[in-house]
Amino acid sequence: MRRAPALPPGGVLARLDPWPLLGAAALLVVLVFVAWPLSELALESFIGQESQHFGFENYATFFASSYFRRALFNSLTIGALGTIIALCIGVPLAFAYARYDFPGRDTIEVAILLSMLSPPFIGAYAWIMMFGRSGWVSEFARDLGIELPPIYGAFGISIACAFGLYPLAFLVVRSGLARVNRSLEEAAYSLGRGRLGVMFTITLPLVLPALLTAALLVFLGVVSDFGTPGILGEGERFPVLATLAYSLYLSEIGAEPGMAATTCMILLAITFVLVLGVRFLSGRRSVASDTASDLTLRPLSGGKRWAMTSGVALLVLTANVPTIVVVVSSFLEVRGAVFQPVFTLANYRNAMVAMGNALWNSLMLATIALALIIAVGGSAGYYISRRSGLLPRALDLLIMVPFVVPGTVIGIGYATVFNEPPLLLTGTYAIIAIVYVIRRLPYMTRSCAAIVFQIDRALEDASLSLGRPPLAGFRRIVLPLMRPGMVAGAAIAWVEVFSELSASIVLYTGPTRTLPIAAYQQAATGDFGMAAAYSTLLVGIAAIGLFIFLFAARGRRDRVVGWI
Amino acid sequence: MNRGPGPHLWIDRVVKRYGSFTALDGVSLTASRGELLTLLGPSGCGKTTLLRIIAGFLQPDAGQVSLAGRGLNGVPPNARNLGMVFQNYAIFPHLSVAENVAYGLRARGIASSEIVRRVAEALARVRLAQFADRFPDALSGGQKQRVGLARAMVIEPELLLLDEPLSNLDAKLRIEMRQEIRLMQRELGITTVYVTHDQEEALAISDRIAVMDRGRILQVGTPREIYEQPTHAFVADFIGGCNWFEGTVSNGELRLAAGPRLACSAAPQTARLALRWEDLRPARETDPPQSCLAARVAMVSYLGHRVRLHLRACQDDTEIHADLPSHGELHMEGTTALFAFDPQRARVFASDGTRLL
Repeated sequence: MRRAPALPPGGVLARLDPWPLLGAAALLVVLVFVAWPLSELALESFIGQESQHFGFENYATFFASSYFRRALFNSLTIGALGTIIALCIGVPLAFAYARYDFPGRDTIEVAILLSMLSPPFIGAYAWIMMFGRSGWVSEFARDLGIELPPIYGAFGISIACAFGLYPLAFLVVRSGLARVNRSLEEAAYSLGRGRLGVMFTITLPLVLPALLTAALLVFLGVVSDFGTPGILGEGERFPVLATLAYSLYLSEIGAEPGMAATTCMILLAITFVLVLGVRFLSGRRSVASDTASDLTLRPLSGGKRWAMTSGVALLVLTANVPTIVVVVSSFLEVRGAVFQPVFTLANYRNAMVAMGNALWNSLMLATIALALIIAVGGSAGYYISRRSGLLPRALDLLIMVPFVVPGTVIGIGYATVFNEPPLLLTGTYAIIAIVYVIRRLPYMTRSCAAIVFQIDRALEDASLSLGRPPLAGFRRIVLPLMRPGMVAGAAIAWVEVFSELSASIVLYTGPTRTLPIAAYQQAATGDFGMAAAYSTLLVGIAAIGLFIFLFAARGRRDRVVGWI
Repeated sequence: MNRGPGPHLWIDRVVKRYGSFTALDGVSLTASRGELLTLLGPSGCGKTTLLRIIAGFLQPDAGQVSLAGRGLNGVPPNARNLGMVFQNYAIFPHLSVAENVAYGLRARGIASSEIVRRVAEALARVRLAQFADRFPDALSGGQKQRVGLARAMVIEPELLLLDEPLSNLDAKLRIEMRQEIRLMQRELGITTVYVTHDQEEALAISDRIAVMDRGRILQVGTPREIYEQPTHAFVADFIGGCNWFEGTVSNGELRLAAGPRLACSAAPQTARLALRWEDLRPARETDPPQSCLAARVAMVSYLGHRVRLHLRACQDDTEIHADLPSHGELHMEGTTALFAFDPQRARVFASDGTRLL
């Protein structure tokens, strides 16, 4: 007695494959908001500032001017110094975390991630508060008869950037180390190499691609940073490419858009040369091991464990000093530029009065941007990871471009292209939301593509063969499984979006001012009390958002099941 | 529903190419209702490609697939009403065992009271009733594959497709599971296409086997036909252990380089003789000398249920295996002995692989 089989529905919806259409739409968006502004800037850089002729006039002007050349040199200097300092902190931490078990691992790891929360420019004026001309450490040293070297300039900028960017180096090198098959090291030991020999002949060559990537990301972070050199470079005294491009574009005394475009292109050229260089260097060394890596941690004996903990904690604590200083001083009374040891909420009262709608703008814009980043990044990540062909590859490439393009460059590109019809966006909230989305889409897309890559394709095949159309299968099978990756990507994107400064500072107008811009302006003009209050708000709200996401990421499988 | 004559599954001259590589080169095959048909072949032979074309995950470049009288070309996989079991189980990790099994029923909009009943029935059949509320990460590989079976069978598919379902399980479990699959398939009368590269599994489980190589089907037949009467040298070689002897046919006789001769009426040519390892035995005095050959014992492997002798023919050093009962006479490594075979058990193939005798 066979039942007549119930056939699955077979209508138009069952056949529809929406992905190519969505992919094409996404490609159109990135063409308009990534390719167009950048190519317009490139074009503009070749139109002579004086002659209006097409040619290399601007580039000749750039390299003829000692001031411009100094900006280039300064950028490279802080990039190199900042990278070295960040690697010196991040790489030992990565080794400790990838290989050893020690007390307090998890707690300290949270502290490492917390240092990513505060944008480097917040650290920048914490350094001024401590080591500036009238900083309390400098004053204290002066009382002892010691004149400390100035914090302004290359060294200060490098340190401030490195302290904000070392977690990036830590994360990249750590995951690189986790991929190195431990049995390779054991094989080397068994063949008679000593500890150092193994380190230099096996481990380091194998993590070299990760080291190079980490160095690249930190270097790009330092060179693209606008806020830190803006504050610690004291404007014209220590110009770097990012601040130079900004002041050329927005200078109150005769803006020079052509020279600004040229400066952007030189900054962009450095970026792309480095990206291609690192890809070339690490592309030839494939260290992917096909066998699962042994991730067990080496236990340490009693004394060594605590030595490891204190070393790691000290390193992380040092890197967090600027943020701690900012948060504490936001509650201190300010007289002139000097903080008094008196607790008060006066800074916050003043900040609220001067704030306007900056806080509200930031919350609204960041939330809208984040929603778009999750939707677009999630589907683009899926599409890129599951489909082959020209369209997904082109989309992948274009989405990733803003990952390496300095924010100032994108900001100037947007201001150039979107200040006239057909897309008149300058001065609107929309343009800031869009620049947030475009700049932070790469995180989300990568994070989602990576997790989709790990989701067995057979699961979707199984769903199809059981009668669900592709889109229903995506919703019921892939999406729930993507959730951890999406939440992680969204958490990072939230922090990055909420503290975005370098593009939005080019694009904001009075009504669309955001919290990071307010914090930067107060820090740059020297009202340290209010700057500290704004920065504390900024870091605090970013942290709250981060923890909400991390909490949401914790396993809620029961709910997912009930949802079907 | 097709209850009339004619095959239930009908595959007609299916071609699939990837660039210049031809994965399926005009494959035709049928399966009647309730039959278990196995696609057997080495990796890369096209068996999985054919299965994925039947499932609808791939579109053939030419040819037709029909099921129960309905052409399937252009029908998306989700509208084919097939059950599929995957090599790596493909159990939805975020759904409970019961929800996994219910997944296909829900897609068909079946009333929830019936879903509950059918899921319970299916889980009882694969002996997982007490695991209904567990999540897949708490299951062993064998249990996961039972969930996969229940999930595919509960939708009462027109056709059940099994893609190397046992290859991720350990040896003992594989044997247990294949019996279970076979019994269940017979009981429910589900027409089944089973893909495997394991010849023993294919012999044990199938009504019929289609042996594939390089995108072609070389032979279709019952397990006994495939093993006893291979029509192609590849089939003889792929299934079971075979000794191969080079030789030439002339004057109605095949002369092997290793010594023996046997009658063969084919035209003069070079040929190869295949002899199963178990068809070679120590010679007796009554054996005719043309079916005997002398060989040196290079190595003796004791396998429990039999002893495998690794031999070298004295005459031309051909590598030979002989599987003998393990309780029989002892052979010492390094000694030379006379072995014999029954000419009735020998199969002769031309140099292009086709059967001569």
